[in-house]
Amino acid sequence: MKLSTNWLKEITPGIKINNKLIESLTSLGLEVSNVSKIKKDTIIDLDITPNRSDCLSIYGVARDLFSIYGKTIKPLKQKKISIKKSQLPLAKINSMISPIYSCLTIENIDNKIKTPQYIKTRLSDYGIIANNIIVDILNYVMIEIGQPMHAFDSDKISGKLSVRFGKKNETFHALDGQKYLLNNNIPIVTDSNGIQAIAGVIGGKSSSVQINTKNIIIECAYFNPEFVRLASKKFRLQTDASYRFERGVDPLMHSFAIGRVLSLLSEHTTLHKTNFFQKADKLKIKTNNKIKINIDKFTQILGQQIPKTKIIQILKRLNFHPTIFNNIITVIVPSYRFDIENEYDLIEELARVVGYNYFKPTALPVTTSANIGNNNFLEKYSSYFISRGYHETVSFSFLPKNSQNNFIQPSKIIAIKNPISEDKSELRTSLIHSLIKTYKYNFSRQVHDIKIFENGNTYVNHNSNSMKEVNTISGLISGKNYDSNLKVDTKDLSFFDLKGDLLSIFPDLTFVPSSKIKTLSNSCQALIFQNKKYIGYCGEISDELYRENSVKNNVYIFELFADDITMKSSIIYKKISPFPRVKRDLTVLVDDNIAGRDIIDVIERESFKYMINIKINDIFYNRKEFGKDIKSVSIEFCFQDANGTLTDNIVNKQMDLIFNHLAKCFKAKLRK
Amino acid sequence: MQKKYSLLISTLKDNLAECDSLNKLVLIKSQYLGKQGKLTLEFGRIKDSKISERKELGRILNDIKMQISDLIDKKSESLASINKKETLNFFDVTLPGRNISSGSRHPISITISTITKILNNYGFTSVSGPEIENEFYNFEALNIPASHPARDMHDTFYVTDNKLLRTHTSSVQIHTMLANKPPLRIMTPGKVYRCDSDPTHSPMFHQIEGLCIDKDINFCQLKGLLINFIEQFFGKKMEIRFRPSYFPFTEPSAEIDIKFNNKWLEVLGCGIVHPNVLKNVKINHKQYSGFAFGLGIERLAMLKYGITDLRIFYDNDISFLSQFSVLK
Repeated sequence: MKLSTNWLKEITPGIKINNKLIESLTSLGLEVSNVSKIKKDTIIDLDITPNRSDCLSIYGVARDLFSIYGKTIKPLKQKKISIKKSQLPLAKINSMISPIYSCLTIENIDNKIKTPQYIKTRLSDYGIIANNIIVDILNYVMIEIGQPMHAFDSDKISGKLSVRFGKKNETFHALDGQKYLLNNNIPIVTDSNGIQAIAGVIGGKSSSVQINTKNIIIECAYFNPEFVRLASKKFRLQTDASYRFERGVDPLMHSFAIGRVLSLLSEHTTLHKTNFFQKADKLKIKTNNKIKINIDKFTQILGQQIPKTKIIQILKRLNFHPTIFNNIITVIVPSYRFDIENEYDLIEELARVVGYNYFKPTALPVTTSANIGNNNFLEKYSSYFISRGYHETVSFSFLPKNSQNNFIQPSKIIAIKNPISEDKSELRTSLIHSLIKTYKYNFSRQVHDIKIFENGNTYVNHNSNSMKEVNTISGLISGKNYDSNLKVDTKDLSFFDLKGDLLSIFPDLTFVPSSKIKTLSNSCQALIFQNKKYIGYCGEISDELYRENSVKNNVYIFELFADDITMKSSIIYKKISPFPRVKRDLTVLVDDNIAGRDIIDVIERESFKYMINIKINDIFYNRKEFGKDIKSVSIEFCFQDANGTLTDNIVNKQMDLIFNHLAKCFKAKLRK
Repeated sequence: MQKKYSLLISTLKDNLAECDSLNKLVLIKSQYLGKQGKLTLEFGRIKDSKISERKELGRILNDIKMQISDLIDKKSESLASINKKETLNFFDVTLPGRNISSGSRHPISITISTITKILNNYGFTSVSGPEIENEFYNFEALNIPASHPARDMHDTFYVTDNKLLRTHTSSVQIHTMLANKPPLRIMTPGKVYRCDSDPTHSPMFHQIEGLCIDKDINFCQLKGLLINFIEQFFGKKMEIRFRPSYFPFTEPSAEIDIKFNNKWLEVLGCGIVHPNVLKNVKINHKQYSGFAFGLGIERLAMLKYGITDLRIFYDNDISFLSQFSVLK
């Protein structure tokens, strides 16, 4: 909303246009976003919040400023006209849409007379192009006092005016030249020929006022904000009128508005015979709302006392007619303050008029509230990933249309009904797609060695009623392990670098060969388990997901379901042995299809005495020597006794037992 | 006898002359003075000699031992000085270190973490909730009925007729208040979505909101908390102002502006929790009051790091990310 300060001074002559005024407006909640000089006027741009429709006019702003300055508001020039008993030009007015509907009929008006320059200038400051004197004066009064009005050429209206809801398939030709297809939620104004306006939004072409118009009906109505809003939304049509009506216009200002219009029209043109008609359903107009508030409530909510006299003065200046009895203040809310409904609203009124700066900051008492927060996975573990060289990324939850169809059942994908673009039209079912996108983005910018991770939700449709969000952490590595550097050989990152990273953060993961994850290559993928619980997967990405890489770097990813991961929560100290450790190696020949993990597992399960550690040191193939599909596996064992030094004899005995066990389980042979 | 010892010394001298490293010198020393060393063995023979000669022999051997020690020490010193000269090739400590792997935390996460750490000191704990919501949690419970113009401020993505992507994390406050009894102090960081995309708006961004419900919570306390919060977040005193604003779920409502480069920038919305919201979650508003506040993470990160384009957060350009490589 633009505020012409010259215009404001006409209404409140005592007001000074200075920085203090700018500050006052902002401190009242009418935020000043810009101040500009146009010729001899200073125009202040105000950001009016949706609750303050009463300030969508010069008069409204002046009225609000009165609460601070108390400077007299000059009455606007009026031409008094009383409401006729009859409702001649009005037929059925749906009081749901318009509980109070007024109109002024004028005969023999001269619309050829030029609009005075000051009106034209002011309209143009507001971005309204001057049209003809009737329309210009209606717009002028709307800006001045906030009542939108519409003029019909009454010679083009047949019969009486009605207000009703539209019907399906009815069409309407508006004065913007557009055709609108109506439905039964759209409020309209009709005559016996058809539709003459979308109520509160826009008038019709056929009955619009032209330069040679002689007789007019000026509509001055209150339209239910909800219906105006629906219509304006449906047609994506916001007019100066709909903007005000959908926020709420004072229902009790019709006489005031008509009196003002009549005064200006009589001043600037000639006219004859005027009549003022009104239809009102008083029950449907909420006015004179009374609110009671205990004076202590102000201090209780605001935290600082405001003197009683100040409270009463402010409420008076806001036109709330306060009365006080036994510390209880009763106010009557003026008809233009739709936003004031309860005592909290009054508290805000008081606070904004005394100014939020009035209140001194105080300390928040120490809490007694329970800690109900949940653990933030990322907060805990991101530093581990970072210290292993991963960059954290944040990507959109959206993916391009149909980009996931090959990897998941399409019925599981959640689509956005109103996407902003095709490339952001469905929710991601895996973070891998986002990571690949980031990989490509950087690869095309000559960054080929990359380690990234992301934490975020994935979204899966189980059925129409149950959509699941899974807190996921995923990562991607590709390229060289380190920047090539002084006397250090760099290596291509491999599956085992990824696995090593994961195990260094979550030491108790196990990896099981798999081929069922579609985003991963069949020959290099593993399901990840923790304490027998499935918590994710990792491997090389499948060609289907990504194969346009000009430099053939292998790309490895992992995806973990963050909420399923458990972390060691308590540490219990185990006594350490002071006696020396003994290391032994064992090299056996086994079938190639026996997984390393299985060998370790069968040994660990037996819990051989004194054995404290076991690892596979080497895998070696030699077809000539061992035969086809046979591999040599070297295993390193570590033994230690808590109560004494182990002798060779004891260790050898254990090694024999271990070998026999392997021979039994895997037909392992000793490599000579 | 003397001859035997002088031979020992001269052999030692030959050995020392050939010795060119401290390691070898250690070996030589043990050959003479070690447990099985030549001189040590001579000492062992004292007990085999005549008693009358023992004393004299002991004196001579001690003398020899002194000589040997002296010779070895001297050699050791000279070797050390030679060694020093040899390694005087410039040891270039400025050459790169090996195997540097410096990842980085995303500035959005750093910002969330900074904020939650500050608020945690005031007793707020982090709570999360679903991003796919229904209208009750996102709008109605927060005092935003369907016809309310405030819904214009929230251009909403829908996934079904009644399910939407949350437009703010206030929905988590509703879940929390329904599931827990006051007093409550929570903060809700997370992703939010609005149908909006231009250089200053992103269809997805991050928010954090705080909620405090207790007996006798008031506006002055809200001011106190947020002034301290802003000062701690930016690490210095900032020029800030509170001005009235409008949110359907708070009353009175305020917006906090911070002055940057002589311009007021809106950074934080807050207010006293609207009694209708408390009613909707069955908290007695006569007994309890509360405040809530919310802010955009990206906006705060932009102000803190001097970032001007919102979209750069989601490009994940490594050159951008690696600027945040200090572990936080």
